[in-house]
Amino acid sequence: MKFDRRLLFNFDWSFLLIVLVICAIGLLNMYSAGFNVLSAKAGSFYIRQSLWFLIGLVFMGLGFSLDYRDVIRYAYVVYGVSIVLLVAVFFAGEVTRGTQRWLALGGFTFQPSELMKLTIVLVMTRYFTVHEREGKYGFKDLAAPFLLVLVPFMLILKQPDLGTALILLILFVSIILFIGVQWKTIFITAAAGTLLMPFSWFFLKDYQKERLLTFIDPQGDPLGSGYHILQSIIAVGSGGFFGKGFLKGTQSQLRFLPEHQTDFIFSVFAEEWGFIGSLVLMILFLALVVWGLRIAKQSRDLVGTLLAYGITMLIFWEVLINIGMVVGFLPVVGIPLPFMSYGGSSMVVLMAGMGLLMSISMRRFILQP
Amino acid sequence: MSENRHKFSRYDSAKFRNTFGILIWVVTISMSFLVARMWYLQVIKGNELRHQSENNRIRIHESKAIRGIIKDMWGDVIVENQPSFDISIVPGAVRNVGDVVSALEAVYGSRGMEFKRDISASEKSRPFIPLKLAKNVSWQELALVETHSLNLPGVVVDVVPVRKYLGGEMTAHILGYVGEVSQEDLRGDKAGLFKPGDRVGKSGIEKYLDSYLRGENGGEYIEVNAIGRKVKTLKKVDPVPGNNVILTIDAGLQKAAWEAMQGKTGSVVAMDPRDGSVRAMVSSPAFDPNLFNKGISIEDWKKLSSDPLRPMENKAIQGQYPAGSTYKIITAAAALGEGLITPETTFNCSGSFHLGNHEFKCWQKKGHGRMNLHRAIVQSCDVYFYNLGKLVGVDKLAEYARAFGLGVPTGITLPSEKGGLIPTKEWKLKRTGQPWQPGETISISIGQGFVSVTPLQLLNAYCALANGGTVHVPRLIQRVEALDGQVLQEFGLQIRAVVPLSKECMDIIKKGLWGVCNESGGTGWALRRPEADVAGKTGTAQVIGQRGRWEGVKSYSMPWKWRDHALFVCFAPVQNPEIAVAVVVEHAGHGGSAAAPVARKVIDAYFRIKAAHQKKIKGEKSEV
Repeated sequence: MKFDRRLLFNFDWSFLLIVLVICAIGLLNMYSAGFNVLSAKAGSFYIRQSLWFLIGLVFMGLGFSLDYRDVIRYAYVVYGVSIVLLVAVFFAGEVTRGTQRWLALGGFTFQPSELMKLTIVLVMTRYFTVHEREGKYGFKDLAAPFLLVLVPFMLILKQPDLGTALILLILFVSIILFIGVQWKTIFITAAAGTLLMPFSWFFLKDYQKERLLTFIDPQGDPLGSGYHILQSIIAVGSGGFFGKGFLKGTQSQLRFLPEHQTDFIFSVFAEEWGFIGSLVLMILFLALVVWGLRIAKQSRDLVGTLLAYGITMLIFWEVLINIGMVVGFLPVVGIPLPFMSYGGSSMVVLMAGMGLLMSISMRRFILQP
Repeated sequence: MSENRHKFSRYDSAKFRNTFGILIWVVTISMSFLVARMWYLQVIKGNELRHQSENNRIRIHESKAIRGIIKDMWGDVIVENQPSFDISIVPGAVRNVGDVVSALEAVYGSRGMEFKRDISASEKSRPFIPLKLAKNVSWQELALVETHSLNLPGVVVDVVPVRKYLGGEMTAHILGYVGEVSQEDLRGDKAGLFKPGDRVGKSGIEKYLDSYLRGENGGEYIEVNAIGRKVKTLKKVDPVPGNNVILTIDAGLQKAAWEAMQGKTGSVVAMDPRDGSVRAMVSSPAFDPNLFNKGISIEDWKKLSSDPLRPMENKAIQGQYPAGSTYKIITAAAALGEGLITPETTFNCSGSFHLGNHEFKCWQKKGHGRMNLHRAIVQSCDVYFYNLGKLVGVDKLAEYARAFGLGVPTGITLPSEKGGLIPTKEWKLKRTGQPWQPGETISISIGQGFVSVTPLQLLNAYCALANGGTVHVPRLIQRVEALDGQVLQEFGLQIRAVVPLSKECMDIIKKGLWGVCNESGGTGWALRRPEADVAGKTGTAQVIGQRGRWEGVKSYSMPWKWRDHALFVCFAPVQNPEIAVAVVVEHAGHGGSAAAPVARKVIDAYFRIKAAHQKKIKGEKSEV
């Protein structure tokens, strides 16, 4: 591939800055979340997370160096690899707290379901650009892509990991609504969904039912399953306007917050940095999402538009669901907060996604027909 | 490949222009909802949730104040404190209380201890207030918990000082007991002195002087992490121990009185007539105040509260009895004081007295013959006093009785004292609507009928006679001292009234009382000591309403609850009285045979103790 100097000229520095600022906040917050009050030492979490961030930077570089159209050409290959990894989780996955989500790969663990989130965006982009049509899509047109989503959806649901499985479905719905679905199809699906909703209760695991009930009435059992959400709300609220200060969040430092390094990382941040800090972080996420949508909009081809849109929606939904859960708006489902939650898979995959967004952004003027 | 390129070239981004416009709005608005929620939690409810997070992390390890010590008149400790160990769990510090309780039970293993598992809703709402699992555990059990503390998150051991009543039942009614503060007390507690679970005095001195004895609880404010592990101490407030109380009670005399009453139902009170200091006060049967230390068990409480002998009642101040013949000093005082008789006035006792159609019998059926006042007191001739009563009239009798302090509570510093009853014509009319019958005065003149007195009142009246006419407020407390010995409150001598009776008249009555114990024919011979120094009066109080039915039946063959109460009141030495004793033995028959021997033991003990102390003081002086 010949290097075009215009690529450097069009490089999206603003977008990179937003991503790096969020990552920096994430690492700072991870230092606090992993801090051990009893020994007054920083834990190893932020060191490992920094390492993942560096690896993520490499993948991001890879993402913007590659022409996203070339990446999309291999979408089915990536999909195949992702499915194989998901199946492998069933046979060789590590079991943690009743779920089987991780693959051990030479000293570190990898979560294929995180990869699947990006893969779904890639494969949907590929599918809908190849099968592009002038009008809106109906049932028949959507059967094949639905099947492409259904397979990993079921595999992930079996782990069980309701949150990630739902993200796949939400991404699918976001993408098809974007490219246009016939009203008839929307209505029939919505009606069928509403009718089938009560039955889905029986397919939920006990802990998932419990989480839903807790969401409806968190005070019902404050020390049982309501404990997480109550402690999280206390953490966020006790931060007040200005926050308790770095390393001074008692809810997280004294471990009243559950899962404070992963799903509830925002509580740690909100407790220590208060409303001001939370507002800044929300504005950064909003800027990231709006910038992503702008990249999608400015793309000169459908591949770029769909890919940028899909990746941006992934960020958007994860932020919305994770923080919605932490502040008690949504039931507890295991979805990480992008660039903030501890976890290498999510970090690397999302950084690669950011790289792809930048790839689309910097190639918007040099697209060759 | 070329096909794709072709498609890209036909791409029309305008197709999505509207979609992106909507999307920007959707994204911005949904994120604004999150920000609005943060505003609500962090700014509107911020303070409340900040408070909750503080409750999470700060645990107050309360250290209870040590209650003040109570000493007797010689400075000997009669109530002290001892440590007791409680095991509690902080439910908020653990995910599942049941798991920890199971672990605790596993630690105790073979001991087969069972702990509370269920948590009430109210306890759940305050998950960081420790719940008591076991109270008063032994040293060995405590050691087990300490060694396994790593496996027992949220389990804490509290050292609680508890009361130790050295005399047990012996001093139960004077000292009272302590128990958990009641709901009513908490509601009425405007000053915020009490917290649920605090222990306060429930009766006796413990209740009367609770504010002095209680002290102030301290505590350690510690920061803990989620599993209940201490991170650091934030603040420490030392408890302030309660103040010490010195009573007027003589523990040795109390013991002697208690032992003399063993197996009997009733009370003994001993008092110094010179200043009204109570030296002993026993009510039998009694309860063990130590039982209440850690919360009394339901069985024990049922046993105490359903006992027909009423062990919880302080019979010395709450038992109301007909005064019987001990009341004759009032009748004599009234007749002398009003100038209706002289000591030489005589009446003939034929064994009975007639008023209208009624016949009033003397206890001596064959009669005492012709008697003057002195002999009538010595032999307790009923007919003589019937005559006096008829002369004096009920209202004058009541006036003198009240002058001696009868009919109203004495004002002793103990809760729930009863006042007894001294009837008048007006009282009867008000109470029953019936006019006074002359025959009723005759009964009153020997302390029967409507008359009722508490043993303490009766003793106080005799003390007034003994000291020449001063009615004191009985003193139970000498002073309250701070730990450093500084006197916080002195409970000095308090005079309530002076009996309007000349010294000569009193001396006549006193001489009669001396005769009771020392002259031939006296009913109080049990008190005849070699020193010939005791003056006293017997009394046999009929249980109201049973007079007719059990006429002429020997006391010991009657059902127990209808037998007469035996009374005896005395003081010594007769010239300069320094001790007075009143004894009431319920349903025991005659005062002379049932109550006087108890009084004798107390009087003997008093002089023995006095001699021992004088010897000790002399010994100390000679050493110097």
